[in-house]
Amino acid sequence: MFENFDINSNEIDKIKKITQEEKNFRVKNLEFFKSAGFPNKRSEDWKFSDFNEIVNKNFYKLDIKKVISNNSKIDLIKDFDHNYIFLINGDFHSSNFDFEEKNKIKINKYNEDIKYQNTKNPLICLNHALADNGYSLEVDKNYKFKKVLVIYNFFTKDMKNKILNNKNTIKINENSELHIIEYTINESKFKFISNVYENVVLEKNAILKNLYVQHNKSEGFFHKFLRSKLFFKSDYSNLIFSSGLKFNKLDIECDLMQENCTCNILSALFLKKNEHQEIKTRINHLAPNCKSYQKVKNVISSDSKGVYQGKIFVKDIAQKTNAYQLSKALLLNDNAEFNSKPELEIYADDVKCSHGSTSGSIDESSLYYLMSRGISRKDSTNLLIKGFLNDVIELIKSPIIKKFIEKKLEDHVNGYHSY
Amino acid sequence: MLEIKNLEASINNKKILNGLNLIIKSGEVHAIMGPNGSGKSTLANVLSGKAGYEISGELNFQGESLKKLAVEERAQKGIFLAFQYPLEIPGVNTNIFLKTSLNSVLKAKGKKELDTLSFLKMVKEKSSELGIDEKILSRQLNVGFSGGEKKKNEILQMKVLDPILSILDETDSGLDIDALKIVAKGVNSSRSSKKSFLIITHYQRLLDYIKPDFVHVLSKGKIVKTGCGDLAEELEKTGYEKLN
Repeated sequence: MFENFDINSNEIDKIKKITQEEKNFRVKNLEFFKSAGFPNKRSEDWKFSDFNEIVNKNFYKLDIKKVISNNSKIDLIKDFDHNYIFLINGDFHSSNFDFEEKNKIKINKYNEDIKYQNTKNPLICLNHALADNGYSLEVDKNYKFKKVLVIYNFFTKDMKNKILNNKNTIKINENSELHIIEYTINESKFKFISNVYENVVLEKNAILKNLYVQHNKSEGFFHKFLRSKLFFKSDYSNLIFSSGLKFNKLDIECDLMQENCTCNILSALFLKKNEHQEIKTRINHLAPNCKSYQKVKNVISSDSKGVYQGKIFVKDIAQKTNAYQLSKALLLNDNAEFNSKPELEIYADDVKCSHGSTSGSIDESSLYYLMSRGISRKDSTNLLIKGFLNDVIELIKSPIIKKFIEKKLEDHVNGYHSY
Repeated sequence: MLEIKNLEASINNKKILNGLNLIIKSGEVHAIMGPNGSGKSTLANVLSGKAGYEISGELNFQGESLKKLAVEERAQKGIFLAFQYPLEIPGVNTNIFLKTSLNSVLKAKGKKELDTLSFLKMVKEKSSELGIDEKILSRQLNVGFSGGEKKKNEILQMKVLDPILSILDETDSGLDIDALKIVAKGVNSSRSSKKSFLIITHYQRLLDYIKPDFVHVLSKGKIVKTGCGDLAEELEKTGYEKLN
């Protein structure tokens, strides 16, 4: 059984150079976390992912002490040219923007003093209390990145019973464009928790595409709260292909602040034995003529669990909103679980909002058709799984990156042998 | 090549095939005709190994009982079924499907698998031979295909997999005359002393283009009459009613 996870408030004093105001903010958040504990299923936002129970089941101890690893070597992706940022155990390590005009890019260790909203999410409070590292990235006006940026999110082999709190910010200024691949590499064979708060701002006409994928599987428990604000005509896409993680919850909150913004959230997940992934979204349509599009596809095998909680909020002035939400799950056997909770809250009267959710098992007649062509049951199943996830992968425009993701997914699907 | 003795098949406790006997030798083309509900498609399904049927009697293919062989093993041994209603498989590219299929069959036979380049070359040849627009190959398998395109795709699959016994389950239904000719061409160009065909059809029309060696009439799960090519013409005139 898990011993009390106790954090002494003098941990906050170890964070260098903070104002009294910031200190008060951190202490307040720490107090909130200490009284609430890890979030549990009594909270609506966590009803399908009881994090308290998950922590109790998986950790007998947990601490926040950082370890400094020196001997980490990161193998760069060779498939395509790219810029990169190295994060080691969530902390900003180094960056390389050799393909770009460097004066257009500001990259630093996270040091921003952002006024955060109060929150009742204990994990975010814990992050507010303790996070003092991560990255801040700002792209200047009128600059379109020539190459993709890969964020190598590297976890060292000494990550064991740790809880890491990190904060990142991305700001894309007017008329600029950036594509990111967040690539998690895990060397640890042990359990740990990564708790990230990420803040994204897209100014007028800015474009940001963010793609998530893993290099390998991990015993880690990942929680990320992604807060974004979109201004006039900006375009933000999240493509989620995270697989092989013990636990992953991506909590995406997106404010469409001004007219003609677009927000896309697309995911193609394949969950294997005992994995648990949740995508939770809240898209706030706060201005007219904005578009949001969400498509979540999960393939779920034995004893794994997929969750999608998607909310679309449309403010009274947000007329001509076009919001779409679809979640589909393919359940490979009886022990697979998919929970979906679509929600629409609409106060405007001239909008187009739709949502749908389906889950089902592999279609036997499709399987029969493929097998009648000499393809084994296993290979036929794999073809159908890939086919199911394919319409999300098809949305990747760059052929090289599409191929890279297809290969990752294929390795992952082929490594599945419960048939 | 194929020997069916006293075959009975039921599904959900309903008997469909009722003591069917049929022998197909190498190089022969057999046509099976019969009214709706006589068991034609059931025969095709049972031969391909579709699950869900209770089966008794003998079912031998090249001297080996089919009963214990799974669907894919039968296909690997050279049995091909052109579906009456080919399924739409979203997200699966037709070329990738065909390549996986061909390589599964080649692998089972202990032959060398084809790489993508030589596969594409081969498919291109086969489709132009049949007069099939190769654009359909880059689309998702049967998704949004017209009825004709689906059937043509079945014939292309037959040509690519090069089976020993091909069963065509009402492949001619719903086809216009040009598509019908493509189907016939697919069969005729494959005819050889080593290959056999079982053609299930409602109409004599297809048999104007594919000349069968034998025509059988299936009724109530049994073959009630066997003849040569002219039997089909006779049936066209008189209908099935008079046979009983």
